[in-house]
Amino acid sequence: MENVLSIFFCLSLFYVVITSRVKGYVTVLRVQGVLLSVIIVIPFISHFSIFGVILPVTLLVVKVFLIPRYINKVVLDLDIKRMIEPTIQQFTFLLLVIISMVVIFVASNILSQNTTLNVIPFASGFSAIVIGIYIIMFRKKLIVHVAGFLILENGIFLFGTAVASELPMMIELGTLLDVFVVVFLMGIVLNNISSTLKGFDVTALGRLKD
Amino acid sequence: MVEFSIFILLPLLTSLFCYAVKNLRAQYIVSLGVGTLHLVLAFSVFLGYYHTNLPLFFSVDSLSKYFLLILSNVYFWVVLVSFSYLKRPVSSRAEEGKKYYFLLLNFYLTANSAAMLSDHFGMYWVAAEATTLSVAPLIYYYRNEEALEAMWKYLFLVSVGIAFAFIGILFLTLSAKGSVLEGRQVFFWEFIRNAKALNPIWLKASFIFIFVGLSTKIGIAPMHSGDIDATSNAPSPIAALMSGSLRLTALMGVLRIFQIIRPTSSYEFAKIILIIGGLLSLFVAFVFMFKVNNYKRMLAYSSVEHLGLITLGIGVGGLAFVGAMYHAVYNSITKVILFLTAGNIHSRYKTREVSKVTSVLNFLPKTGWLFLLAFLAISGIPPFGLFFSEIKIFEGILFSDKPVVLFVAMFFLLFIFINMGKIIFSMLFKKGENDTAEAGVEKFEFIHLAVILLMILLTAIAVLSPEILYQNIINITKDFGMKI
Repeated sequence: MENVLSIFFCLSLFYVVITSRVKGYVTVLRVQGVLLSVIIVIPFISHFSIFGVILPVTLLVVKVFLIPRYINKVVLDLDIKRMIEPTIQQFTFLLLVIISMVVIFVASNILSQNTTLNVIPFASGFSAIVIGIYIIMFRKKLIVHVAGFLILENGIFLFGTAVASELPMMIELGTLLDVFVVVFLMGIVLNNISSTLKGFDVTALGRLKD
Repeated sequence: MVEFSIFILLPLLTSLFCYAVKNLRAQYIVSLGVGTLHLVLAFSVFLGYYHTNLPLFFSVDSLSKYFLLILSNVYFWVVLVSFSYLKRPVSSRAEEGKKYYFLLLNFYLTANSAAMLSDHFGMYWVAAEATTLSVAPLIYYYRNEEALEAMWKYLFLVSVGIAFAFIGILFLTLSAKGSVLEGRQVFFWEFIRNAKALNPIWLKASFIFIFVGLSTKIGIAPMHSGDIDATSNAPSPIAALMSGSLRLTALMGVLRIFQIIRPTSSYEFAKIILIIGGLLSLFVAFVFMFKVNNYKRMLAYSSVEHLGLITLGIGVGGLAFVGAMYHAVYNSITKVILFLTAGNIHSRYKTREVSKVTSVLNFLPKTGWLFLLAFLAISGIPPFGLFFSEIKIFEGILFSDKPVVLFVAMFFLLFIFINMGKIIFSMLFKKGENDTAEAGVEKFEFIHLAVILLMILLTAIAVLSPEILYQNIINITKDFGMKI
């Protein structure tokens, strides 16, 4: 089941690569949030515990409702154009992503021969990390960079479930809170950037250099 | 639990107090009280007068009590001068920044203390990320375009960096597969004790990710850019706080993974990575000192240089490691002095451009002389502490198996010293075209007193070389399993 959901997670990554609209990114963040919540709730189906519910529910609230709504609000408030403005062609980007994913999946399979790990969630998570970085590198809009950062964070989360590292509840919730506050702060900064620097993309940031 | 309350809960409650009470003076008095209490307790713990009993995920060892004391000391002085700094006239937009100043400062203390005292990688990560969240809005204090850009870059780069460090932590758990640590929590002490059982490939990957990720926060090249922008655009007390303590909080994470890797076969690999990181930082500082035209950026590059030197010392090990530990405390105090005096210069000249700052000794004689002394201190001139710590680092490198590193490092340091000297002497002595105005008598301010006291502290530690400090550093070295 975890493998199937991880494959859906990978498909969401492909969608994010080919979409040219900011709204597409927000949708993908919601979908990934749902997938991650389901993935972490699976082990608790057989033995129910209240603690097993707190984390998935918090994850769902933060990643599916709060953060995407907040990003949508920022996009609407600042009247950001809905196109993502790539710096490389979509086809080149897709090719780069496919090559990276193939390398990651093959490498993960080789690594799994020495260490017991769940290859598909592991490789899917790592792919999301790499694609998140690509998005930050190859997109101009700062709000899309935030989405790239969140995809990277989602990748880390999936990656964490693949290596079966269970952090204590308090720390898991702490990491979620940190990510939420980071995004919240980024939204505030974007608001200020739009009013002070009159722009929403990286070209507005060029004052600080030696 | 008393120590947990004072180190972590009390600053958090003070944050809430600062949110509720809008009076700046009241915020200052309470924050200073908490800072003083924090310092007294951190000092008592360091001296061994107080034995801690912290809850799960927190504990104290030689390294954490040493770094906690450095943090507490820097924080105390920064809070002490903050009120007189906040009284300086700023733009109407920047007035708004004052409202959250002490709130964020207290939150910074909570997060930083938690990071220093944590003995679990997960807890350390949460706290380290929280330090970023507390300091990022403080960078935007002046509410101008540069500060905004610096805040964005810092927040974004460090958040991505910290995310990388988290991947490193996951790799660390992966390295425990098949060993006695499988399925166990990532407590530092448990991993250090059973380090030999860890899978070397995943352990190396873990080290790389944690080191590269946290480098964004430490300011190690090539991940230093966000940190440089932030330090150079933040208000001076915050820049002092970042250079004096925040970088060490991030270094703590690198030291922990280094401590884990030390008894394993991957130790040599980690040493080489740290040496490369250190040398690269010295190289970056060397290159940019040739063309830097902003004196606060110059100080930020100086931080890159000194953290690079500390990393180099840690990587070489032995006596260089001892020198690096001494260097941490001396560098933190000197950076506070440098940034506070640079803040005075900025207040008078309203610019950070070197070419527009002339005759500082004429217009601001007190600040000018202190700035000059601080420059001598940071350059490692005796009797200031950095001289002694650098000698130890150099001696350690010379008698290590990589003596050539010393010549490369000294070449970079020599040119950094020359270029920094040129800039500072031009600011202090060069006469500008419009300098016909009469030399003003500089009022003796509270910041001057704090800087003089810090200067005395810096010299006293170096000259007296307290046995307790030496013993603690030796204990850290032993904890790392190094021979001197």
